[in-house]
Amino acid sequence: MVDDEAIVRESIKDWLEDAGYQVATAETGEEALELIGKRDFGFMILDIRLPGKTGIEVLKEVKAQRPWIKSVIVTAYPSAETTAEAARLGAIDYLIKPVVPDGLEKLIRETIESAGREPTVTTVEVRPKPPVKAPEIKRSVVITREGLKTLVEGLAEDMEVVGVKSRNGKYDYDKITAFAELSLNYDVSVTPPTRYLLPPLETLFKFKLGAALELKPAADTTRRAIIGVHPSDIKAMEMLDEAFMATNPDPNYHARRQNTVIIGVDCLNPSPKSFAPSMGTHLAETGFDLLLTDIGDDRYVVNVGSAKGDELLEKHTKVREPTGDEIARQKAVRDEAFYKYRLSLNVPRERLPKLLDDSYDSPYWESRSATCLSCGSCVMVCPTCFCFNVQDEVALNLKDGERLRHRDGCTLIDFARVASGENFRHDKASRFRHRIYRKGKYILERYGRIGCVGCGRCATACLADIASPLEAFNALAESARIQEAARRVISEIQPRTELYTPRPAELVRVRELTAREKVFEFRFKDGSALGQLPGQFVEVSVMGVGEAPISISTSPTRGKSFQLAVRNVGDVTNALHKLQAGAVVGIRGPFGNGFPIQALEGRDVLLIAGGIGLFPLRSLLQFILDRRDSFKRVILLYGSRSPAERLFPEELADLSQRRDIEFHETVDKGDATWQGNVGVITTLIPKVNIDPKKTIAIAVGPPIMYRFVIGELKKRDLADDNVIVSLERRMKCGVGKCGHCQINGVYVCQEGPVFTLTQLRKMREAV
Amino acid sequence: MKPKVAFFDFSGCEGCQLDALNLDAGDVVDLLNAVDIVNFREVMTERADDYDIAFIEGSVTRESEIARLQKIRSQAKVLVALGACASIGGVNCLKNHLPMEEALRIVYGDKAGYYDTIPARPANAVVAVDYYVRGCPPVTGELVKVVKALLLGKKPEIPNFPVCVECKMAGNICVFERGKTCLGPVIRAGCSAICVTSGRHCWGCRGLVDEPNVDSEKDILQKYGLTVAQVVEKFKIYNTYGDVAK
Amino acid sequence: MKSINLKVNQITRVEGHGNIVLKVSGGKIQELKWEVTESPRFFEAMMRGRYYEDVPYLASRICGICSIAHTTASIQAVEAAFGIQPSAQTMLLRKLLFNAELLESHVLHVLFLAAPDFLGAGSVFPLLQTHPDIVVMALRLKKLAYNLAEALAGRKTHPLSCEVGGFAKMPDLKELEAIRKRLEAALVDFDTVVGLYKGLRIPDFTRETEYIALKDAGEYAFISGDIASTDAGIIPLSNYLKVTNEFCVPHSTAKYTRHKRDSYMVGALARFNNNHKQLLPRAQKVAAELGLKAPCYNPFMITVAQLVESFHAAEDSINLIDQILSRGVATEDNAVKPKAGRGIGAVEAPRGILFHDYTFDKNGVLTNANCVIPTNQNHNNIQKDMEALVPLILDRPEDEIRLRLEMLVRAYDPCISCSTH
Ligand SMILES: Cc1cc2nc3c(=O)[nH]c(=O)nc-3n(C[C@H](O)[C@H](O)[C@H](O)COP(=O)(O)OP(=O)(O)OC[C@H]3O[C@@H](n4cnc5c(N)ncnc54)[C@H](O)[C@@H]3O)c2cc1C
Ligand code: SF4
Ligand code: SF4
Ligand code: SF4
Ligand code: SF4
Ligand code: SF4
Ligand code: FES
Repeated sequence: MVDDEAIVRESIKDWLEDAGYQVATAETGEEALELIGKRDFGFMILDIRLPGKTGIEVLKEVKAQRPWIKSVIVTAYPSAETTAEAARLGAIDYLIKPVVPDGLEKLIRETIESAGREPTVTTVEVRPKPPVKAPEIKRSVVITREGLKTLVEGLAEDMEVVGVKSRNGKYDYDKITAFAELSLNYDVSVTPPTRYLLPPLETLFKFKLGAALELKPAADTTRRAIIGVHPSDIKAMEMLDEAFMATNPDPNYHARRQNTVIIGVDCLNPSPKSFAPSMGTHLAETGFDLLLTDIGDDRYVVNVGSAKGDELLEKHTKVREPTGDEIARQKAVRDEAFYKYRLSLNVPRERLPKLLDDSYDSPYWESRSATCLSCGSCVMVCPTCFCFNVQDEVALNLKDGERLRHRDGCTLIDFARVASGENFRHDKASRFRHRIYRKGKYILERYGRIGCVGCGRCATACLADIASPLEAFNALAESARIQEAARRVISEIQPRTELYTPRPAELVRVRELTAREKVFEFRFKDGSALGQLPGQFVEVSVMGVGEAPISISTSPTRGKSFQLAVRNVGDVTNALHKLQAGAVVGIRGPFGNGFPIQALEGRDVLLIAGGIGLFPLRSLLQFILDRRDSFKRVILLYGSRSPAERLFPEELADLSQRRDIEFHETVDKGDATWQGNVGVITTLIPKVNIDPKKTIAIAVGPPIMYRFVIGELKKRDLADDNVIVSLERRMKCGVGKCGHCQINGVYVCQEGPVFTLTQLRKMREAV
Repeated sequence: MKPKVAFFDFSGCEGCQLDALNLDAGDVVDLLNAVDIVNFREVMTERADDYDIAFIEGSVTRESEIARLQKIRSQAKVLVALGACASIGGVNCLKNHLPMEEALRIVYGDKAGYYDTIPARPANAVVAVDYYVRGCPPVTGELVKVVKALLLGKKPEIPNFPVCVECKMAGNICVFERGKTCLGPVIRAGCSAICVTSGRHCWGCRGLVDEPNVDSEKDILQKYGLTVAQVVEKFKIYNTYGDVAK
Repeated sequence: MKSINLKVNQITRVEGHGNIVLKVSGGKIQELKWEVTESPRFFEAMMRGRYYEDVPYLASRICGICSIAHTTASIQAVEAAFGIQPSAQTMLLRKLLFNAELLESHVLHVLFLAAPDFLGAGSVFPLLQTHPDIVVMALRLKKLAYNLAEALAGRKTHPLSCEVGGFAKMPDLKELEAIRKRLEAALVDFDTVVGLYKGLRIPDFTRETEYIALKDAGEYAFISGDIASTDAGIIPLSNYLKVTNEFCVPHSTAKYTRHKRDSYMVGALARFNNNHKQLLPRAQKVAAELGLKAPCYNPFMITVAQLVESFHAAEDSINLIDQILSRGVATEDNAVKPKAGRGIGAVEAPRGILFHDYTFDKNGVLTNANCVIPTNQNHNNIQKDMEALVPLILDRPEDEIRLRLEMLVRAYDPCISCSTH
């Protein structure tokens, strides 16, 4: 409890102690930081106005040193700037003075409970709904074709207009220069309009190589109207909004979205492959600025979906109130269209997740995917597919470069392949299944919106004729009921402009560990700390070469610089290995959940490191050693392939001298110099004595190690909850967007990389 | 030290090399700032035997070319196959379906005895190849991309997904929907599906992806009306050197 | 008495592999040979058994420089065999596409391959320092030709959109309009090149020979017409074999040809000698300025004739674009019905007259092919020119003889891998 007013400080302390909490108080920020340096806290209540260091400054330092401490700020004069700043620095809420004890206690209880609660992996935490102000406006008007023409021509003067045009007997979106080019009565567009929000290829940011790394964001802010969007595609856009703007708001997507006007049109002649009604997407109530229904006689009923839509009508054209007859007509043409759909789902769509849950081992995947070409057509034409890859492109002058993102997809062979060659979805069947699971389950569970809008494009595009999710769902039909996932409405949000742009960090020191591994020490150019938790990772950029996820190898207790230990296996890692002190790299993060430190406190901790698994574990080990009193026994088992490949040998030698840690080591193959154990790491486990009630085991190593280590630990009766591993997956974005790291429904970069065995058992693809 | 770059032509149309020159003036300047071109018979008189990166164009179709290629390999630090002929054998391998004497007779008649030839083969059938710039011809600037990647110390990015991916990105209507046929689903991308975008179909000039589902592609071609012989014919044009054209 | 043992192994700055061998002892020429060592690829054998649709695609791969010429000749041979008459729109687009390649090829030769000889450099790269404007301009002109071809056929080397029956994709008229502007500017650039060539000393050497080219009553022929010879007048296309008379020599993997004399010449100079009256006005004027007058018997003037033709092609392209813009373009149905039969296609490739002659079975599968390439018609003439030239310069230093012989070969702008095919 940090406050300079004694009365506030002491009264809150009393309340909380009465409620059963341990409370320490501080009068100034400096005092608070000193306390925090000595002891661990779970929760901090902080006055913003303090003598000396301000509350904001204290928050900053706490975030860097003890990021797991939850803070609430208290202020008598709330201002939008300070609360926003505090929120950015991780404050979970703010309270306005005078503080009522009930509110505070409740807040602390909920926060602590939610932190202690094991995050259930397959359910998504849905954030509290922001005030629902969804359809800003709901009214209908009537516009004539002539009036529509005036509207389109008017729009064309203000912005780029794209719309559906006929092309070789099909329809597709393209730039519109004259109203006559527009086809408003079409079945389906070859490519989805979502490509104007998430283009096949775009620049995330530009950079200039050199001592001072220059980065320039590159968001497309072209003002654009998309005309003729079918309701199913509108629903797809709403789903993308959820994925790209609700959490980790994507600056490039956001810029496009903010500058896009959507003028929808009801689909009156659906494609024979569409099954939109089954997915509940043949009509749309939200997600557009204007929505047209062709009621014949060159008249359209226009549903106005936003204030912007209203303004556009006002500015560019004339509309009138609809007659009762015209409203009836709108309903009639929609009904007529409804009966034109040929295909339908044989199970209620609410049941899809359960249906898929029960079908994981179905022979369907193997047999149906035998003819899959892994051609990616299904994902490239899909309005709800959004996975991507990221690449650096440098000009011939070898100075100017840009980081590009381009579409990628889970049915392509290399989607889940990592540098070591391991491919986490190497067979057609698992890739095929993954896509169908995304369409029917994972996306729904993550975003609360269905992952397939039933447009039928994939079914048309797939030459092997196997891609339609409808066909898969119907084939797998089974019954069970699940709750329809909650819906969210996206409100005003600020994009995180720095989402993809790394922060420049300077290489302070490099040290060679073995022939293949080096350890790098970095410091941010702006002097700030990384603020990591042990077990988290960063994305490291060598500009021009690319970005790679690397675990942080040092504890936050060891000062502002941080170390990354890297094995040279591919482009980025190789480029890192060539760097000399003074070089500048880009860092994003820290990402991921990190090791559950609070759960370890007061327990016996068994650390098992295989090979470079020591890299992430080292930060945890340092952390534990620095606050040794908070933990009971600490046991470290470490296995390397050969004596020459032992990492940090001097540190290992140190450890073996220490009395407060039990350290055992082995090598797969010994040599003349080696006097210690020989054998794989599992042979060390029987050597230590473990109290299964008190011990938490944390294992990090190559995928193959886990199976054996887990088996061995189970023999010692450790509960699944007390076995923790860190998983490697291919990663590109680190922020839960690009899709590469996904294991079933879980994004490893978000919910992981650290998982308990209980969680792991629910993720079928994991081991 | 600027890396020294050399170009060598074997049996081919030399289109790959000439296209490599299709750069803007600024790019030519930048390129010459970054590398020394020491051997490029097509456009320059000077030649040298000291080079770091050798680009090989054309396939090997004579005994004498085998030794020549081996010598280049022994001198080059990095050897790059440029174009379909060098990467996968290219159209030249069509003659491999005939006995060599027959091919000689068809072209030279009774004077066949003046000349010699062996079945055509890609560079990697003779020496180790480090990188491939695929295509017949490669798309403009692709070679420069490889040079840049080598200068920046990364592997040149070579897609291992089929042409369909880029074809869809380009927004094309699939040729199968127009009643024609295409090898795109099993052929390695990198060309932005230029042939489909230009109104035609994919002939397969960039070679197969790593794990092509050739059986499925053959079924699909038949489903769209091709005879077995025509299906084989499709694969023959570029992909004879492997054994899919059977 | 002078002895020379000269061998130019793989002459540079030409397309393909060829050697010059000169042995002189006691002042007497013992051996003088233009050797073509290019590895043959056996296109005529490879074309057999191919479906008609793939034949022009394959024919294109005969040559990376003149792939549009091969594709066009091949398409026209298939069309002739099947009795297809291309539409007026197709002919306009084909001519325009053809001009693009002619421009590109001539620019490449005039400014990249031949010019370094006149400017005393080994390649265009050092010219970047000494004559930067010229190089930048040359790259600009090349780019223009590339862009024109790209607008019409997707790409320049191995064009895509042109197929049997017509064009598979229509060009974007806005793009053509923009290119038209650049063509106007190109005419100014070409004037600069004329200035440059005016100052150069073109070797003075003449040897009269037979000059053969396509001739069309309506225009300076490139993709239509019959065969014209300065010795024999007009010969119908169907009789082309009587003109070419191919034969083999052991030192050349490319075949040789001869007609009325020991050898004949094809290419820009042969076209000029036969058709100069049909050149467009700008080209006529430039020919006069550069001292190119028909008949011209100096092979070193081929490069000059190419420059003159560049003017013609640029001017013609502007006219063609105007016609296309005023009539618009419409997608046509290029459906083709194969039938059994033989067809001959002839065009004037940048380096001269080119024949493709195919026979198909009723399913449209090719059973026989014969391709006669411009450079294989010129090889024999190069040999004969050398034989006439060497005695005149035998008293010069060896290096000069070597350079002069190389320049002679380069003047022909030989396309060797193409000639061997
Ligand atoms: C959470 C996490 C922590 C890691 N920590 C470390 C560490 O501390 N030290 C270390 O040496 N290695 C670590 N790795 C592995 C490291 O990320 C890869 O070796 C590295 O990405 C290879 O990239 P590259 O560019 O050198 O190879 P390339 O083969 O050129 O890789 C191309 C791209 O593919 C992706 N990719 C390839 N392999 C992997 C992979 N294994 N994991 C994620 N993305 C991949 C990356 O985006 C990479 O940029 C970690 C991986 C993860 C997921
Ligand atoms: S499901 Fe169909 S479209 Fe998708 S990758 Fe497989 S074959 Fe291609
Ligand atoms: S999965 Fe297929 S049907 Fe569903 S939205 Fe995507 S493309 Fe449309
Ligand atoms: S790959 Fe194609 S363009 Fe290149 S040399 Fe061979 S035939 Fe010519
Ligand atoms: S046209 Fe060819 S490359 Fe394009 S999607 Fe269809 S099959 Fe694939
Ligand atoms: S589409 Fe096919 S044939 Fe055309 S360039 Fe690409 S790979 Fe080659
Ligand atoms: S979603 Fe991109 S790395 Fe996890």
